[in-house]
Amino acid sequence: MTTESTPAVALRMTGITKSFPGVMALQDVDLEINEGEVHAIVGENGAGKSTLMKILAGFYQPDKGEIEVGGRKAIHWTPREARSRGIGMIYQELNLVPDLSVAENISLGAMPTRGPFVDYRAMNAKADAVLRELDTDIDPGTRLGDLSISQQQLVEIAKVVARQPNVVVFDEPTSSLGDKETRVLFDVITKMRDRGIAIIYISHRLQEVMEIGDRVTVLRDGRHIETRDVAGITPDEMVSLMVGRDLNEMFPKFDLGLGEQVLAIEGASRAGQFDNVTLDVRKHEIVGLAGLVGSGRTEVARALFGLDPLEEGTITLAGKVLKIRSPRQAVAAGIALVPEDRKGQGIIPGLSVRENFTLPVITRITNALLIFLGKERKIVTELADRLKVNPPQVERPLNVFSGGNQQKVVLGKWLLSEPKLLILDEPTRGVDVGAKADIHHIIGEFAQDGGGVLMISSELPELLAVCDRIFVLHEGVIAAEISRADATEESVMRAATGQEVAA
Amino acid sequence: MKNFDFALLGARAVQYRLVIMLVAVAVFGGLSLDDFLTVNTLQSVLDRATVVGFLALGLTPVLIAGQIDLSIGSMMSMAGITTIFMQPVIGNVPAAAAGVAVGILIGAVNALMVVVFKINSLVATLATLLIFASLALLLTNSYPLSSEDPIFGLPLTADFLWILTPRSAIFLIAAVLMFVWLKLTPTGRNLYAVGSDASAATSSGINANGYIAASFVLSGFFAGLAGMMQSLSTAAGSPVAGAVMLIPAITAVVIGGTRLEGGRGSSLATLGGVLALGALTTALEYNGVPSYTQAIYTGLLLILLISLDRIVSGHGGASSRAQRSVRVAPRNTPLPRRNA
Amino acid sequence: MNQLVAPARSLDKSTTPGALFSTLSIPIAILVLVVIGSVASPSFLTVNNLTNVLNANSAVGLIALGMTFVMVSGGLADLSVPANVAMGALVTLGAQESMGTGLAALMGLLVASMGGVVNGILIGYLRINPIIATLGTGSVLLGLSQLLVGGGIVYAQPSALSTFVKSSILGIPVFIWIFIFVALILHPLLARTSFGRWSLAVGGNYQAAQASAVPVRFTKAAAFAMTGFLAGLCGVLLALSNGQARPIIGTGYEFVAITAVVIGGTSVFGGNGSVLRTVGGVLITALIGNLIILLGFPSQATGLITGAIVLGAVGIDAYFRRKAGRL
Repeated sequence: MTTESTPAVALRMTGITKSFPGVMALQDVDLEINEGEVHAIVGENGAGKSTLMKILAGFYQPDKGEIEVGGRKAIHWTPREARSRGIGMIYQELNLVPDLSVAENISLGAMPTRGPFVDYRAMNAKADAVLRELDTDIDPGTRLGDLSISQQQLVEIAKVVARQPNVVVFDEPTSSLGDKETRVLFDVITKMRDRGIAIIYISHRLQEVMEIGDRVTVLRDGRHIETRDVAGITPDEMVSLMVGRDLNEMFPKFDLGLGEQVLAIEGASRAGQFDNVTLDVRKHEIVGLAGLVGSGRTEVARALFGLDPLEEGTITLAGKVLKIRSPRQAVAAGIALVPEDRKGQGIIPGLSVRENFTLPVITRITNALLIFLGKERKIVTELADRLKVNPPQVERPLNVFSGGNQQKVVLGKWLLSEPKLLILDEPTRGVDVGAKADIHHIIGEFAQDGGGVLMISSELPELLAVCDRIFVLHEGVIAAEISRADATEESVMRAATGQEVAA
Repeated sequence: MKNFDFALLGARAVQYRLVIMLVAVAVFGGLSLDDFLTVNTLQSVLDRATVVGFLALGLTPVLIAGQIDLSIGSMMSMAGITTIFMQPVIGNVPAAAAGVAVGILIGAVNALMVVVFKINSLVATLATLLIFASLALLLTNSYPLSSEDPIFGLPLTADFLWILTPRSAIFLIAAVLMFVWLKLTPTGRNLYAVGSDASAATSSGINANGYIAASFVLSGFFAGLAGMMQSLSTAAGSPVAGAVMLIPAITAVVIGGTRLEGGRGSSLATLGGVLALGALTTALEYNGVPSYTQAIYTGLLLILLISLDRIVSGHGGASSRAQRSVRVAPRNTPLPRRNA
Repeated sequence: MNQLVAPARSLDKSTTPGALFSTLSIPIAILVLVVIGSVASPSFLTVNNLTNVLNANSAVGLIALGMTFVMVSGGLADLSVPANVAMGALVTLGAQESMGTGLAALMGLLVASMGGVVNGILIGYLRINPIIATLGTGSVLLGLSQLLVGGGIVYAQPSALSTFVKSSILGIPVFIWIFIFVALILHPLLARTSFGRWSLAVGGNYQAAQASAVPVRFTKAAAFAMTGFLAGLCGVLLALSNGQARPIIGTGYEFVAITAVVIGGTSVFGGNGSVLRTVGGVLITALIGNLIILLGFPSQATGLITGAIVLGAVGIDAYFRRKAGRL
């Protein structure tokens, strides 16, 4: 901790405002980072942290607001400009080239030369020096793709550190690191801080924030809520600031008697993704699956749907133990999955709404040879009407519709398959408010009609409003099972961040 | 696991395929022919391999950059025709230069299509293959051009340094130079970066488009070189000289181990592939196997190696972007539970 | 993760310039070509000429029909077509004496189909790059076909089947009838069956199709098997009608087929297309070829113009895709 009375400001962002069509990502956010401090930024999924950092990195231009680095205002802010002003970014998604060596990656774009040739000795020495600072024994000559994920992450850090930056942003750096590696990282961060570098540390792991942070800023719903010294705050207080809001949206909730078990998973494991997961869903029930990004929720869903089959554990559907090794088997068994990645796995963009709707069950509306086009059109029109797809033109290609409508089509396509279990992965992400309410309604109706729903969502209010029970995943393991009565944003968040949930 | 030994064996076989092939060919040739394992044969193999060799060399940077160039055969034909045609017009040496220049030009056209018009390299070079093969036929009226000075090109295939000929010497030098460039210079390393992960390369300040464009021009240069040398050696500019060269060139590169997905490859590996393939075809030819049967073996080899490669390296073979894995808490951590 | 919304699209895009272009272009192009033809040469607009043109292009047309499925399902292209054509032709004529024409023709079809199946396995199940795979299999098959006939030429024996193939029904050559027949089967296959729907989905978004329980590998493989069969059929018909066959019989057919499909508006990246459009593309390609001859251009120019058109068509397609946000 520095003892200067007025620490020099390394980075100042003032009045940052950024909106995208349909969403206000950031509103008038101020951020001030001092030299030689570790400044943590915390907030829920969607609070605006990533957007703020992308603006800092030069990838987005803010609608309003200013950036000042080392006292000098930024006029033309591009990624190149940001880099040259000493901003270093370390993302979760590694920016490395798998086929080159560690040393080459560290010096990529700026390799030391001797004449026309690469000065391998200097390059390896530079890499050695940086890696030794990070206290790792990675051989700089190793091909990057051969290293483990955590080792690759260390190389990414080395790459940024080697550029002698003024401000370094760590975005969830420990998500793939073990305890020892986290220690190493903290040592490095401490060393960097003591050398006067300003460090921004973004993390969900509040314990880490308490340990390594000097000050912490809380964002919520795109707004700057508060900045405080870490010494003067507790994790509980942080959680309250992160989630504190009024539930001002009414979600429909049908009060139903719960039926018999539709789905039971026991001891499900997949190495590196989730371990010993046990949960169940009953008829008429909507079960939520909560957890932080990277906690394994999507992986569990994919395993249930046969995209990445289970290595250990059993799946029981309506009383029968099943081996699900492909989406076709899953669909045949009565499971449907609305995927998280709508664009990549949800929609066939060039096909019409109608064709998208009927894709998984197309063989059910054919006679021996041909599709009953008339019947198809009728089914689809009814469905589009029920889902309130807007505009209700089923012949238009799906890519011209808004995200919310696309999501309705994806949802509808699976409803058409008449599943026993409907798995939803972030069903209302990127969806406008109106469509969101519609989708909730549809889910509720499905449960009412006798299906079981397993819903993954990063939006706590949604889960709280819609679910009968919530399982919380933390780092691949079920951390808690919370009933509707006991579920609050705090309790879910606590379990998700790995803290003890008071008995 | 059950299939452990198979997998390991397969991987090793793939790894050492060049050596295996060369040994196999040597054995086969030595057993079936009398004078196969001689210096003369080696010289012959090296010399004949040169033309395909240049094409394969030119193809290597393109593949490393993550693209493909199917037009190398047509570029070669065009270059050959130009060389022979220009001999009486501007003299022998300038004509040779003109031939190479034509290759560079067409390579630039490919670069334009892929980088500026953003046409997939497969489609673009398929189209230029067609266009220039056709143009070659048009310009020569489907007949090969005879050289006005057939003696000029003779020295290319003469004896030179024991097992070499001038043109195979140039080929070997080119292969070594390319190796030096790819492995030891910053631009060479950047090329790998572009092919391995273009966006990561771009974010480190590398001009990915520039490198891709350059790789096509380079491919054109080598195709031009191949065409020029071939036409001088045969004293004729044939409009279809290059048409049959595409598959052997690709096969040689694949045998050598350069992947089609980009980010990996080596000119020395290509050299090895060219030699292995050249040895095989020579051994077959000396055994009286007609060229179309040779094509069968070549094609089978290509398919076999690529299938093996795909099976051994698992699904996709695409450059593996580091997958984020979840840190899973150890099992014996007590799970805090609240009962429903 | 962020709650970022993808920029909402205006809903009026079905009448984008791109869509209009592709819908109207075929009829307009045909019209334009017919006009140019009738102006350029008095013998153009005669029944004789037009029948000949259609007849000559029916063989390639069959291949284009199969290639449609290949491209629609994202298989890029089948470059082994010349080899399969040769196989079909040479096996038919080669086995004619020993088995009789009918059986020999069936053998030819079978062999070519096997080639297509091998392609399908390599590409659909082993996920090998289609260009490399088909180049490889094509090389093997072509070599095999040349081996069969010792590199030379095979002559047909007179037979009832070849007489039939060379004849006309209702004034229209049998060749054309066969083309129409196949087109009539394949169009609904693509437009109105599950398999057709699967093909469009696989080409449109392989991962999403897989996640929608579509049998993706089978679909991709089937397109190549089909093309192999059709190429074989083409070879059989050519052999019987020409009375002879050489291994080079199918040279260049793959490019003409690809051109026809591309001109018809199917994107090389897959996800859209129709057999009807390919028929239009075949017509246009046929007319262009005919015009080249009638206008006195050397026949070698065909490849040049074909390649240029492919570049133009794909370039324009790429342009519109980029404009619409890389759909």
